[in-house]
Amino acid sequence: MLASFLLLSWISSISALYFHIGETEKKCFIEEIPDETMVIGKYRTQLWDKQSGSFLPATPGLGMHVEIKDPDTKIILSRQYGSDGRFTFTSHTPGEHQICLHSNSTKMALFAGGKLRVHLDIQVGEHTNNYPEIAAKDKLTELQLRVRQLLDQVEQIQKEQNYQRYREERFRMTSESTNQRVLWWSITQTLILIITGIWQMKHLKSFFEAKKLV
Amino acid sequence: MTPVRRFLCAWLVSLPLAWDSCGVQAAFSQAMDSDFTLNLPAGRKECFYQTMKRDASMEIEYQVLDGAGLDVDFSIFSPSGQLLFNDQRKSDGVHTVETEDGDYMFCFDNTFSTVSDKLVFFELILDNMDTDEDPENWKEYVHGIDTLDMKLEDIMDTINNVKARLSKSVQIQTLLRAFEARDRNIQESNFERVNFWSVVNLVVMVMVSGVQVYLVRSLFEDKKKIRT
Repeated sequence: MLASFLLLSWISSISALYFHIGETEKKCFIEEIPDETMVIGKYRTQLWDKQSGSFLPATPGLGMHVEIKDPDTKIILSRQYGSDGRFTFTSHTPGEHQICLHSNSTKMALFAGGKLRVHLDIQVGEHTNNYPEIAAKDKLTELQLRVRQLLDQVEQIQKEQNYQRYREERFRMTSESTNQRVLWWSITQTLILIITGIWQMKHLKSFFEAKKLV
Repeated sequence: MTPVRRFLCAWLVSLPLAWDSCGVQAAFSQAMDSDFTLNLPAGRKECFYQTMKRDASMEIEYQVLDGAGLDVDFSIFSPSGQLLFNDQRKSDGVHTVETEDGDYMFCFDNTFSTVSDKLVFFELILDNMDTDEDPENWKEYVHGIDTLDMKLEDIMDTINNVKARLSKSVQIQTLLRAFEARDRNIQESNFERVNFWSVVNLVVMVMVSGVQVYLVRSLFEDKKKIRT
């Protein structure tokens, strides 16, 4: 009992966000990120067991299918992972990427009454760096390592700021275009009304004159 | 793995809290700040759960980025099922909870809307989750001898300070990004509305003027055909 508790606590998360999905349900998250940014997603699944009334680790056959779309809705990752998985991708265009998860259960939607508990953690940018590894590879002292981490953090902030500038430019273009269109349309509408009025009057006048009423 | 590390791992497996070499590589652990953006379909309620320890604090900040009305219902439940906060039809909000042990549940509710999906962004900021040592314990990986230990401590303090401030900058940046996304979505829907209704307006005007002329003309049609 103690051994299994210890084992579970070693494997299990200390503080992870989790949510429930049906067996055939698809859950999507949107990440708005600058370009050349690495994203690492980690998840862990548990299956609802009716007999014990609790969530148990999922059977080995039940995995999750991860699908990631870039801002142009092109699929950049579409893979199946086991019940515990880790997926990673690097963005090449800035914008809204969509990360979708669904289990690879083959049951029909009506009969799949199972519930899955999915623990999910998505880390973006400099949070993905593995500092112990970097320290070992570049042979850094602790001071150098901490300064390196600060540099990475600042670099990420800078990237995000550049991305924001690009976004704001698009936003401004949309606003200005709307503004222009409103102005042009009002002028056009007024002109059309005036022209239509004049045409109507002329046409009806000639019509009445033809009918010898005027 | 070297034998030393293997032994370390074996020893550390027996510790429930695994914030160490093996832990970082093998155990599943969540970063202290995480944000998610998701699409909440019309008429749906989505709930998320977060495991917390006692005497930690959890801050949740959410915003509705897109979707007619830009509002959503939000509620937080404590591990014992007690309702802590309940926001009705708000477009953004922030709540801080001093936590006890257990799983906190927070839900976004879009059941009041029958047609429009909502794009909801939320950010979780956790504090004091680690009751023991500094999580970034890289000491065993670094090389070199640090002389002048006293001065090093000062430098370390400064670096930690800078790091904390940079983290705050990142948080604010995330917030600003969410605001900008919301404003952008509003503008884009403005743009589409202007386009659509202008075209409709044009079509209606032309049709109405045509119909008017036709009707007036038809009033003066040759009545002789009717009278006989």
